[in-house]
Amino acid sequence: MNAVIDTQDRAEVRRLRYETKQRAFLKTLVSPHVIEEHRRSPIGQHSEPLERLLAYFRRRPLAGRYAIMVVKPFEAYRLVQLSGERGVPPAPSDETIYRSQAEAEHAIFLRNVQTLLT
Amino acid sequence: MTMPKLFGYTDRLSVKPGETLDFFVHAENTTKATAQLVRLIHGDQHPAGPGFIEQEVGCEANGVWAVREQVTQLGSYLEVSDPQAKLAPGGSFTLFAFICPTKPRADGRQTLLGRWDIEGRSGYSLGIAADGRLEFALGDGANVTSAVAETPLLPDIWYLVAASLDAQSGQAILYQEAVINRYNSLLSRVAVLDYRSHGTKPIPAQPKHRTETPFLIAGASLGTAKRGARVSELYCGKIDRPGLIGRVLSRNELDAIRKGGQPPSDELIAYWDTSHGYSDAGIGDVVIDSGPSGLNAIGHNRPVRGQTGWNWSGRNDCFRLAPQEYGGIEFHAEALTDCNWDSARTVKLPADLRSGAYAMRLRARGEDGEAEDYISFFVRPKAPGSKLAFLFPTASYIAYANDRQSFEAPMTQSVTGMAPVLSAGDLEFGTRDDFGLSACDHWSDRQGVCYSSSRRPILNMRPKHRAAGPNVAWQFPADLSIIAWLEHRGYDYDVLTDEDLERDGLDALQPYTCVMTGTHPEYYSERMLDATEDYIAAGGRYIYMGGNGYHWSVAFRPDEPWVIECRKYGPAWKTWDARPGEYYMVSNGQKGGAWRGQGRPAQKMVGVGFISEGYGKSEFYRRMPDSYHRTVTWLTKGVSGEVIGDSGLAYDGAAGIAIDRCDPSLGTPPHVKLIASSGGHIDNYLLNPEVVHYAFEGMSGSYDYRIRADMAYFTAPNNGAVFSAGSVAFGQSLPINGFDNNVSRILSNVVDAFIKAGALPGSQWVNEEKQWR
Repeated sequence: MNAVIDTQDRAEVRRLRYETKQRAFLKTLVSPHVIEEHRRSPIGQHSEPLERLLAYFRRRPLAGRYAIMVVKPFEAYRLVQLSGERGVPPAPSDETIYRSQAEAEHAIFLRNVQTLLT
Repeated sequence: MTMPKLFGYTDRLSVKPGETLDFFVHAENTTKATAQLVRLIHGDQHPAGPGFIEQEVGCEANGVWAVREQVTQLGSYLEVSDPQAKLAPGGSFTLFAFICPTKPRADGRQTLLGRWDIEGRSGYSLGIAADGRLEFALGDGANVTSAVAETPLLPDIWYLVAASLDAQSGQAILYQEAVINRYNSLLSRVAVLDYRSHGTKPIPAQPKHRTETPFLIAGASLGTAKRGARVSELYCGKIDRPGLIGRVLSRNELDAIRKGGQPPSDELIAYWDTSHGYSDAGIGDVVIDSGPSGLNAIGHNRPVRGQTGWNWSGRNDCFRLAPQEYGGIEFHAEALTDCNWDSARTVKLPADLRSGAYAMRLRARGEDGEAEDYISFFVRPKAPGSKLAFLFPTASYIAYANDRQSFEAPMTQSVTGMAPVLSAGDLEFGTRDDFGLSACDHWSDRQGVCYSSSRRPILNMRPKHRAAGPNVAWQFPADLSIIAWLEHRGYDYDVLTDEDLERDGLDALQPYTCVMTGTHPEYYSERMLDATEDYIAAGGRYIYMGGNGYHWSVAFRPDEPWVIECRKYGPAWKTWDARPGEYYMVSNGQKGGAWRGQGRPAQKMVGVGFISEGYGKSEFYRRMPDSYHRTVTWLTKGVSGEVIGDSGLAYDGAAGIAIDRCDPSLGTPPHVKLIASSGGHIDNYLLNPEVVHYAFEGMSGSYDYRIRADMAYFTAPNNGAVFSAGSVAFGQSLPINGFDNNVSRILSNVVDAFIKAGALPGSQWVNEEKQWR
């Protein structure tokens, strides 16, 4: 990987334009059906609308991206947000306890959907 | 806060009963730890398996240990032994070096070279200020005077930089010119940028040379008063052919060096010809001074030798072919190949210790909780005593050691299809920078980490560890599921490690009738690969228990077997990409990259090889027609139905994570029997780019029949044979239902047959036309 010389990366201009259009499109994919599909199976094979939403969410900037923190292995989990910076720990999101990885994964999805729609 | 913390490592990973083993321990908020030797049986705490299982073992070292905080020197640099203070010039002098900084703007100053005492504010140093500008600093013990270039250095551009002290005129003189050719730098000559800087500055006093200050390249001494880490101002980037001359060099003389000329020999004090001393079998840590005093420089934390130099012409791609163009030495501020802590305890292991995976369990209790570490190691037998050996893939453990992908790599969630699941240990590790990086990670200057070491605490080589990114037991803790199965089935077995295979070659394997591997033996040196191939060809029985094995070509140096080297490039999936011309490993001169790119795909040796990788869901295998062939029906004896491995601790199936398939075009032996095969993988499983020569839609699990795990068997010369699972998740299916499942049944059939010397079951059938039911 090479460095980006200290001048403006023009690709960023194009990325921002893509973001605007992509978000407008992704908003049209959100439906009760897609949310229920994710609740039933947050990890694995998904319908195209759901997978498009997930592919977008997984590629959000690392700083601020949600992750799951183990409170008690296989029994209790919480959500955190990554710092995106080496050496800086994730920040706690809230105190809600989820009973499984799948439940926590779905909670992340709902938050990402909410952010997309607002 | 009085939460204690404990972290440790051993001087080596493989040891024999009765031998001594050094334990190095770092402790925070406690001065005592309770040590207990344990035999490790099972690691994965997944509720569908037997959970964590350890057995306490008597040992002279059990009990309370005195422990303390240790200091780790990070960063690669060169140190020159200079007992006669030749590098402390009394009058005028010039320092020069070709440099290619990779992170010119950093949190603090970086020293390129000099005899510089940071705390004592004395000596001289050519370096880079935090804002990326070349800086010549001179200190008289009280005050520091700096001459700073006007034009900042740019990353990944080669320069010749120099600084002179003119004692007569009391001037410091700076020289900075880019040396861009068609190949060597990020930018070509068409980019319009200002690279050069020349200037002078009055210097009020001569530098004071303290006798105890070492001359360093890519770092500077913190001073004698400092405890522990003694080198700071660590540099990120390359340095090529630096030198020191006892007079002022004119602009013309420096321009001549910039054009490839030798430095003037009059008043030459030292000239480190970084391209000197190379051999066909690699490059060591000594950088030769071709000047009059022979003041060789010694590398610490393994500076990367033999990298493309300032004058790389692009014609040759290896230091062996054009050493004069490969004088680049690459340095990184976070490099770590040995923590070099003081030993907390030298432990004499019991003479009657059974071969197996062990750990020294350390615990310390504080007001806010208990610290625990399992310093893991492997005990091979005094002399081989079993027919069966389990080979722990420790080369791959070292490659993945302290991998930070889960929370640092932007792509991880897209790869795994899930959010990382971070444990308390991951969170602690995420805040530390003192335990080094893995061969999957990047240094802070974005370059890939090509050296990884076992002489540091390896937090993911611990029995209960789960990889956060994919949320599964991975490598060592996953391999313990196979150990638990061997224990449950009551097999008599020895354990070996890659450390033994690398050192002893074929001699490590030959005593055994059957050798079985771990779940992901991915990183293999040529010596390890040769020994395995020779073992099978000579009549050995080999059980490949994994997926995506024998993939990366790696190298070790015999004098430091705890350090693995790799170079990642080419079409294989990789977390970093070696720069052009830097594909050969310095440890032994071997080409790095994937073995397939060198004519040795895994299929040639074990019948199957890398086809895909994916996460979140594993599949089962279905029996294939070959499994009914009379030569191999013994393999599936006791298995009813067609489905094999429809449950497991790794995503609930035996075929998953990293999967391999047979491929005659890559050298699968033509007489292979395809016993079973998976399919219908989710689209998170993508085709290995090594087999994709042209990309198109539909190269994922649900579209492409090639994405599958093949369970394969073939006979080899001299009653040898290979059984390959072709899947990482296979071993993690063994513990399901109290080890009573059809994966376990098939593996028992294989092991039972393979540990009996002589003819294999089914080998009496020789006529093809009579072999079908």
